[in-house]
Amino acid sequence: MKEELEAIQTEVLQALKQINTQDQLESLRIEYFGRKGKFTDVMKGMGKLSKEERPILGKLANEVRSSLSDAFETAKTELDCKQQEQQLKAESIDITLPGRKPTLGKAHPVMQVLQRTEEIFMQMGFQVVTGPEVETEHYNFDALNTPPNHPARDLHDTFYLTDGHLLRTHTSPVQIRVMENQQPPVRIIVPGKAYRVDYDVSHTPMFHQVEGLLVDRHVTFSELKGVLVSFARQMFGAQTQMRFRPHFFPFTEPSAEVDISCTVCQGKGCRSCGHTGWIEILGAGAVDPEVFRAVNYDPEQVTGFAFGMGVERIANLQFRIPDIRTFYENDLRFLHQF
Amino acid sequence: MNITLNWLKNYIDFDFAAEQLAEKLTMLGVEVETIKQLGVALDGVVVGKVISIKPHPNADKLVLCQVDIGKKDKLQIVCGAPNVHDGMVAPVATIGTELHSGVFIKKTKIRGEESYGMLCSENELGISPDAAGLMELSPELSIGTPLTEALGLDDTVLELEITPNRPDCLSLIGVAREVRAETGNELKHPQIELNESDTEIQDITSVTIDAPELCPRYAARIIKDVKVGESPDWLKQRLESVGIAVINNIVDITNYVLMEYGQPLHAFDYHKLNENRIVVRCAAEGERITTLDEYERKLTPDMLVIADAEKPVAVAGVMGGHETEITDSTRDVLLESAYFSPSSIRTTAKTMGLNTEASYRFERGADPENVIPALNRAAQLIAELAGGTLCKGIVDVYPGKREPIQITLRPERVNFILGTELEATEIEQILSRLGFGIEMVQQEGRDQEVAPTEDSVFQITVPSFRVDITREIDLIEEVARVYGYDNIPTTLPKGDIPVLVPNKLTEVRRRIKNFLLSSGMMEAINYSFVHPNCFEKIRLSEDNPLRDALKLQNPLSPEMSVLRSTLIPSLLNNAQHNHNHQINNIALFEISTVFVQDKEPARVSGILAGEIGDGVYGNPYKHPDFFDIKGIVEGALEVCGITDYAFKLTDEPTFHPGRNAELLLDSKRIGILGEAHPEVLENYELPYKAYLFELDLNALAGATDFAKRFKLIPIYPSIQRDLAIVVDKEMQSDLPIDIIYSTGGKLVESVKLFDVYVGDQVAEGKKSLAYTIMYHSATETLTDKAVNDLHDKVIRKLNQELNAELRM
Repeated sequence: MKEELEAIQTEVLQALKQINTQDQLESLRIEYFGRKGKFTDVMKGMGKLSKEERPILGKLANEVRSSLSDAFETAKTELDCKQQEQQLKAESIDITLPGRKPTLGKAHPVMQVLQRTEEIFMQMGFQVVTGPEVETEHYNFDALNTPPNHPARDLHDTFYLTDGHLLRTHTSPVQIRVMENQQPPVRIIVPGKAYRVDYDVSHTPMFHQVEGLLVDRHVTFSELKGVLVSFARQMFGAQTQMRFRPHFFPFTEPSAEVDISCTVCQGKGCRSCGHTGWIEILGAGAVDPEVFRAVNYDPEQVTGFAFGMGVERIANLQFRIPDIRTFYENDLRFLHQF
Repeated sequence: MNITLNWLKNYIDFDFAAEQLAEKLTMLGVEVETIKQLGVALDGVVVGKVISIKPHPNADKLVLCQVDIGKKDKLQIVCGAPNVHDGMVAPVATIGTELHSGVFIKKTKIRGEESYGMLCSENELGISPDAAGLMELSPELSIGTPLTEALGLDDTVLELEITPNRPDCLSLIGVAREVRAETGNELKHPQIELNESDTEIQDITSVTIDAPELCPRYAARIIKDVKVGESPDWLKQRLESVGIAVINNIVDITNYVLMEYGQPLHAFDYHKLNENRIVVRCAAEGERITTLDEYERKLTPDMLVIADAEKPVAVAGVMGGHETEITDSTRDVLLESAYFSPSSIRTTAKTMGLNTEASYRFERGADPENVIPALNRAAQLIAELAGGTLCKGIVDVYPGKREPIQITLRPERVNFILGTELEATEIEQILSRLGFGIEMVQQEGRDQEVAPTEDSVFQITVPSFRVDITREIDLIEEVARVYGYDNIPTTLPKGDIPVLVPNKLTEVRRRIKNFLLSSGMMEAINYSFVHPNCFEKIRLSEDNPLRDALKLQNPLSPEMSVLRSTLIPSLLNNAQHNHNHQINNIALFEISTVFVQDKEPARVSGILAGEIGDGVYGNPYKHPDFFDIKGIVEGALEVCGITDYAFKLTDEPTFHPGRNAELLLDSKRIGILGEAHPEVLENYELPYKAYLFELDLNALAGATDFAKRFKLIPIYPSIQRDLAIVVDKEMQSDLPIDIIYSTGGKLVESVKLFDVYVGDQVAEGKKSLAYTIMYHSATETLTDKAVNDLHDKVIRKLNQELNAELRM
């Protein structure tokens, strides 16, 4: 009997090595441990043993059963692992197949730049306000110290409506509207559309401007410089240099045109900046006393500055689109680039 | 305006190179737009003299020239020009020269004969288009000198942009004054010496001003026995270098003095003036004049003219008359130098559509005190260069003489405005260099002898040429620009930050835009102007007020002639543009104001058309349908916190009659959406369906509530019941939902339609709608029985109200 038990142990351990599936494992278990199994059969002979032999063989039988049971368990775990491995292997995919990307909408490039501009000025305490695009001569010109027959009106080729109104040539009229309705301090920026009769690779008849205005009891030209330098550094990079050149606008005095160091060559001089190292980006100046008088502010009591910039121009410093009319074709191949 | 460096040096000394000068002028506010070296491509071209000519042995049309270029050896040059002749002085491109055309000159053989250079035409040198023959040079030129030097082409042209407030800079002397402000060097005015004859001008002419308001000053001189002809080379070259056409010596001189002084002059043929006299008056009704450009022009009584005893002979300050112009046969010249009112000249020039060098200056403001110096300078030059004799004296009628403007300037105000700490003496120095008269006004308790301090007050006298300076602030700008904007400190504002008022419209716009972007739509921006036929193209009904669009008086084109009252046509145009370029995944939106009568309401509009998605394996293109656009509208409302709205079918002709809706908020229409009508698609040449929406952002902003409050998360479990009912096919799917809510009351947490079925399983004319109802109580766990009772009640109610049969 001892021999039989030992033989069974050897046989089973041997057989387990050949097992490949759970079914085979189960058959093997039944073959030995089933009701008619070989081990069961051997155990049936236990009753015939002598009183002395029984505990010895009983112990051996238990040992064999227990070790084989462990072996079955191990084999089962191994098979499980193998099976999972196979299943996972079968489930593998070609990860180079395209991802199911949610379609991404994109803001218009001009709006992206406009939004960035708004954010920078809002951080400096400027409030965003808007105003009408159909304007009167009064708000667009007269109140801005540009009376009829003033040569400065030549600089603005104005669209007129058949009812005598006009399309604002700049966002500056909103300055007047705000000051008429609010006492200083005023600290606003006015983003919006403006219109001029102009249509070529560098001009669209509709364009976007951001106008800024700061009025308080004592605002200086040096603060105008500070605000714009701060803007330029955030917009174009910390290394950006800024240059203020005297210029003329009817509604500011002193007036300046403001250049930044060329974004292409960093001021060394290249084709983009006409080899000057500078690129004009905006016009600015101290608010002209006549403008204050037009809104019943006392120019001896308040001072201020204003500035205005073309958004397309600033956008194009970055994008370098050869024909800016492309902005308004809304070609999806274009819009998706930004 | 163009000037040249060498010409400018006639009026002031400076050591700047062209680039430095450009930088200085630019930083003073006289922007130099371009710097151009004259005659750059003329290196290696020298003055040569043809000393002998013999025929070319192998070619009829060529000759062999011996040319002297000032060196020991004469050059043999093969030439084919028809005008080459013995003794001719002409430009020679020597070996090694690269001409502006790119031609490189080397020793060569032409038909077997050696040629050591090239005799050049003006065209070959890039001087003019003249290619008819060799450029004939003055025999007085010294042989062998570089051509640039010989022709005065060793100069640099600066193109200046003069702002409209600075007419005083529209001349060389004016620019020289700016250089003086920079350097402090004194101006060198032209030396004028006049040899007058005994003939008194008063005896042979007179000037009458009938309109002194429009012509405050008119002066004339007469030069007799001039010889009209070509100007000398130096004069021609000067004018040409700054882009002024050369006419004849008299006219050239007036233009030269115009450039020098900025004072427009006009020369009349004295004998063609009726009664040889001048009357400055407004034109009479119906008068006409043929101007120098040989156009006959109608004159109106608001136009100032220069007339003789009978008729207009010039449009004052704008253009002279053809009849009295200087011709080769002119013998005696009446030279006009005047000052006209800027607004009068401007109106006339504008009405006539003429913009001349004269009108440009007069309308911006000339200097009345410049009238006589410029007149004398021109008279001197005519006498010198055209050989005339100058009559004695000037007729100078000056009814509008004005006292110089006086302005009080407070130095502390300068610093207050600029944020600087300038000393009064610095301010004084700057203004005096600019030609301002300065007097320190005695302050109480102060001694006038002491140097000015910051508390002093200056009394400033404005020179007559500075028409732009009338106020203290104008003087402050003068100080700032000469001191240098770059020298003004850079600081941040110190003032209070104003109270920020939140703006609901801005917030609604921002939220909807972000939502649409995250929905995969691209933002478009279109012009505000559209073609008036767009309303027809989107089939707006005849009485739709949107058709009443504002019209432009001066549109660029019919496509851009009215202001849009709706964004939909613009987006359909964009769809068409993209489709025409084979791009068919059209998902675009635009946020903009539109123009409706006198209002500018804000709108958001969107379009879905073609194939949405990226069309890759696993994520195929999808044709959008009504419910895509409806979902987008619903999402837009959700991000605005608006829940209480309704959709209702409309009869808007823009849309498919059965696939559209208006969006109602408090039973007011605040938007429309739907599938574009097939005719609309056809009008925009779209081969596929397009879905559109347009919402009123002002209405949304008015209805929105961004305030958020916490609501208790349910404690008790919800119980789900699904329900399928069979109803008439035409019935709207939201009717059962309303009934379920009203029947179940607070215990209905949510109702969701999850299936719609039409087909074999239900009777003809019927459809099945399946809903998931979540029952829930905030106060207890609902029992099955309670839910079942309620659910049965719902079913009964649906049956009673909608004749809905439970589908088993």
